[in-house]
Amino acid sequence: MSRITLTDVSRSFGSVKVLHDINLDIRDGELIVFVGPSGCGKSTLLRLIAGLDRPTSGKIAINGEDVTRVAAADRGLAMVFQSYALYPHMSVRQNLAFGLENARMPKPEIEQRIAEAARMLNIEPYLDRRPGQLSGGQRQRVAIGRAIVRNPTAFLLDEPLSNLDAELRISTRAELAALHERLSATMIYVTHDQIEAMTLADRIVVLRDGRIEQVGTPLDLYNKPANLFVAGFIGAPRMNFLPSDKLPGTAGSTVGIRPQHLRAADGKAKLKAKVTLVEALGYETVVHGLLDDLPLLAVLPGQKSFEAGDTIALTYDAENLHAFDEQGQRVD
Amino acid sequence: MILAPVGWLARVLDPPLRALQRVGGRNGMAIFFVAPNMLIFGIFVLIPLVINFAYSMTGGGALFLGDRIFVGGEQYGRLFDCGNYLEPNSCREDLFWTAVWNTVFFVVLQVALMVGVALITALILNRDLKARSFWRAVFFFPVLLSPVVVGLIWRWILQRQGLLNYMIYELGFDPINWLVERNWAFAAAISVSVWAHMGFYALILLAGLQAIPKDLYEAAEMDGTRPARVFWRITLPLLAPNLLVVLVLTLIRAVQIFDEVYVLTGGGPGTSTLFITQYIYEVGFASLLRNPGLASAASILMGAVLVVLTLFQLGIARRGERRSAK
Repeated sequence: MSRITLTDVSRSFGSVKVLHDINLDIRDGELIVFVGPSGCGKSTLLRLIAGLDRPTSGKIAINGEDVTRVAAADRGLAMVFQSYALYPHMSVRQNLAFGLENARMPKPEIEQRIAEAARMLNIEPYLDRRPGQLSGGQRQRVAIGRAIVRNPTAFLLDEPLSNLDAELRISTRAELAALHERLSATMIYVTHDQIEAMTLADRIVVLRDGRIEQVGTPLDLYNKPANLFVAGFIGAPRMNFLPSDKLPGTAGSTVGIRPQHLRAADGKAKLKAKVTLVEALGYETVVHGLLDDLPLLAVLPGQKSFEAGDTIALTYDAENLHAFDEQGQRVD
Repeated sequence: MILAPVGWLARVLDPPLRALQRVGGRNGMAIFFVAPNMLIFGIFVLIPLVINFAYSMTGGGALFLGDRIFVGGEQYGRLFDCGNYLEPNSCREDLFWTAVWNTVFFVVLQVALMVGVALITALILNRDLKARSFWRAVFFFPVLLSPVVVGLIWRWILQRQGLLNYMIYELGFDPINWLVERNWAFAAAISVSVWAHMGFYALILLAGLQAIPKDLYEAAEMDGTRPARVFWRITLPLLAPNLLVVLVLTLIRAVQIFDEVYVLTGGGPGTSTLFITQYIYEVGFASLLRNPGLASAASILMGAVLVVLTLFQLGIARRGERRSAK
C-alpha cells in the first residue's frame, strides 16, 4: 500500500522557479500520469518524489510519513529511467541483483526474485547477456525488472517508452498496463505523449510551466478540459478554437470543438469552410480548412472526395462545444 | 569571405592535380599526398633507427659510421656480461644495470603514484566544486611547462638553501638535504615527475568520468548503494578503458624519464637517480670514454621494451573497441 501526498511542493534553480506550490494526492494502487510539454517540470516533480532532488519548499509524504528529507533509497520506491540506466558492464542478472545485494538480501532470495521477475517479463533467455547485447525493448524490460525485484511501494517511470520505435511503443504500452493490473502497485508515469497518458492512466496530471493545470481521469480531461491549455493539449488532432461570435449562441469568448466532432452537413450547415488540404487516411479523412481566415480542422469518418479550394458545409452537436472565458478558463 | 582564398587556391591547384591524377592514377595520388609525411617520418625516425642499429653493431670512439669497426653483437654481449643481474657491481657495465634497476624501481613507484594521484584528482575535479575550471587549470598548468623549467623550479625549491628548507628552518626544524641524500633524491625525482605530468593523466581520467552517464549514479542511489560500492562496482569498471590508457602511457613515459630529473639531480647523488635514458646520453655523448656503439645497443634494448609496451597498449585499445562494438 502506498499513498503519496505532495503539499505545496516548490522547486527553484537559482532565481528560476520550475515548480510552483504543487498539491497532489496520489492514491494507493493507481497509475497516475504526469503529462505536459517539454520543460513543464514533470520530470523534476518525479525526481523530487524519488528523492533524487530536494524541494525548495513543501512536503512529500508516503503513507502519511514525511519523507521530504529522506534519502532516495529509504523511500521504498523504484524508478525506471528514460535511458534505462542499466549498468553496461554487468549482465542482466547482475543488474537485477545489484540493488538486492546492497540490501544484503540472502542469495537464494535474490535468485528467487530474479527468476520471478524474469518469468513475468519474458527475459529469462537474456539473463546472462549484457545490456549492450539486447534490443531497446529487451533493455526496457530489464529496467522494469530491476524495479520489480525490489518489491517497491511505488514505481516511478520517467518516459520509459520514449526510446522505442512506434510499433514497440504500442505493444510495450499494453504490457505496462497489464503489469500494473497484475502488480496493483502505485505507478507514477511521466510522459510528454498525451496518447500514452490517455491509454495508460487512471488519472492524468497536466502540467504547464511548473503548475498543475488539471487533474482528472482521461475522459474527464477529454470531455471537460478545465482551460484552453488542457483542451489543446489533450486529444489529437488538437481542438479547434474559434472566437464565440463565429458560432452564434455560444457562451464565453472562445469556443472549442474537437475535429472529430465536426461532420459533413446533410441539411442546414452551421459552418462553411474553404478546404486548403485533404489528408485521406482511408478509414477517415482529415480536412484542413479556413473559416473566415481562421484555421479549422475536421476529421470526417470514411473516405471523402473533397479537394483544395472546395467549400464544405459542416455541422456539430451543441453538447460537443467547449466554451472558455477571456482568461481561458472553462465556462459551463 | 574568409573562405575566398581557399576557393582561389582550389581553383589554381585543380588543373595540375587533375593532370597528376591522369598520370599516376588514384593510387599514385594517395602516395603523392602521403609522401611528405612519410619523408619526414623516414628522415627523422626510420633512417635514424636503422643507423642506430648499425651503430650498435660497431665499436670504437669514431663518430662517423664509415670510420667505425664492425663488432657484431659484441656491444650487446658487453651489456649482458653479468655475474648476477640483480647485483650491478658484478656486471661489466655496472652503470647500465644500475640505471636499469633504478628505472625499474622508478617505473613501479612513479606509475603507481601517478595513476593513484591522477585518479584522486580527477574524482575531486569531477565533483561540483566552486571554481571548478580554475582548479582544473591549476592541475593542468605544470603540463605546459618545459621539463627543463620543471627541473629548475624544483631544484630552487629543494636545494640545500632552497625555498623548502628556508620554510622548514623558519618553522624551527633542521633543513633536509633533499637532493643530496639518496632516498630523498629518489623520492624527489618521483614526486617532481608526478607533479609535472599528473594534470595530463587526470584530464584523461576526468574525461572518462564525465562520460559515465549520470543516470547510472542515480539508479545506484535509488538502489541504496553505498559510496564505496558505487566507486568499486560502477565508477572503476566504467573508467577501466581510460585507466588502462593512462597506465600504459605513464609506463612508457616513466621508462623514458630523463630531462626534468637530469636538471634536478643530474643522476645523483652518486648514481641513485641515474636512469636508463641518462645512461645512454652520457655513454653516447657526455662521458670522456664515450662509446656510441654501446649507447646505441642500450637504446635499441630500451626501444624494444617500449615497443612491447606500445603493442600491449594497442592490444588493450583494440580489445576495448571490440567490447564497445558489442
